[in-house]
Amino acid sequence: MAFYDEDTERYLHEFRPQTIRELELAPRQRKVSLRQLTAAAAVVVCAGGIFWVTCRELKHSNEAANVQTPKVSLTSQRRHRTTVALTKLALSDNEGFETLLTEESRKSLPNFQEEQSALKILAKD
Amino acid sequence: MQTTRLTRDEVKSLYVFRRSMIQTVGTCIGHQRRAVLDVVHHLFLKMLGKKTFVLQSPLAYFYRATRNASLNLRRDRQHETDLQVSQSWFVHPSGNLDEVLNLQQALRDLPEEQRETVFLKVWSGLTLLEISEITQTPLNTVASRYRYALEKLRERLGKRLQTKG
Repeated sequence: MAFYDEDTERYLHEFRPQTIRELELAPRQRKVSLRQLTAAAAVVVCAGGIFWVTCRELKHSNEAANVQTPKVSLTSQRRHRTTVALTKLALSDNEGFETLLTEESRKSLPNFQEEQSALKILAKD
Repeated sequence: MQTTRLTRDEVKSLYVFRRSMIQTVGTCIGHQRRAVLDVVHHLFLKMLGKKTFVLQSPLAYFYRATRNASLNLRRDRQHETDLQVSQSWFVHPSGNLDEVLNLQQALRDLPEEQRETVFLKVWSGLTLLEISEITQTPLNTVASRYRYALEKLRERLGKRLQTKG
């Protein structure tokens, strides 16, 4: 390597550069972009919508179950009870069974014992 | 070409450890020292604010960034008159401002490449090999610039050097 002027180098080394200031670092701020905000809002709306629809469907199905189940059971029970009771009654007590049929027919059919009954008038004719 | 991604802390530590290089490059290229340093300071703050990708070695990258910022400033202000001739770039242990201003004038009279080589070698502590790498100049050219610069400085500072000797 070439020989350099050591005296001049030494002289130059006596000088020190003026110090420069430190970097003034501002605290880091996380920027939220408009795109991120929109995406977050969309996710929240979708999640809310799904939750609302699910809750609504659950409520409807519960109501339907509450309404339909007793109807079916009541009807079937009544029918079952009536059939069994009537069969037993017919086998054991024929007169009672006839009486019951008469009462039931009076409940369900128009009463032709009354004076203004159309059936009574027809029967007379 | 190898790419290095620098973190915020790496940029900061490079700034701290290579402050003298940044300063001297800024000073020797743009004579308005404070303005140059403000530009360089701003440049580094910008680097800290984003992910910095370096294509060469970090030292070479920072040298180029500093140099370019300094050159841009000089180009932008070339129509302005430099009123800060007496502003000191250095501090001398004796506190003698005349000595400082005399050295500054001698450095100003050097061609820019030679002045830059002297700054990087003497006050930034870089070797001639490192200087040749970051300035992308052949090693022999860098060595010649340094030798010629010292010769010219000796001529200019002759009397002061003799009194020191």
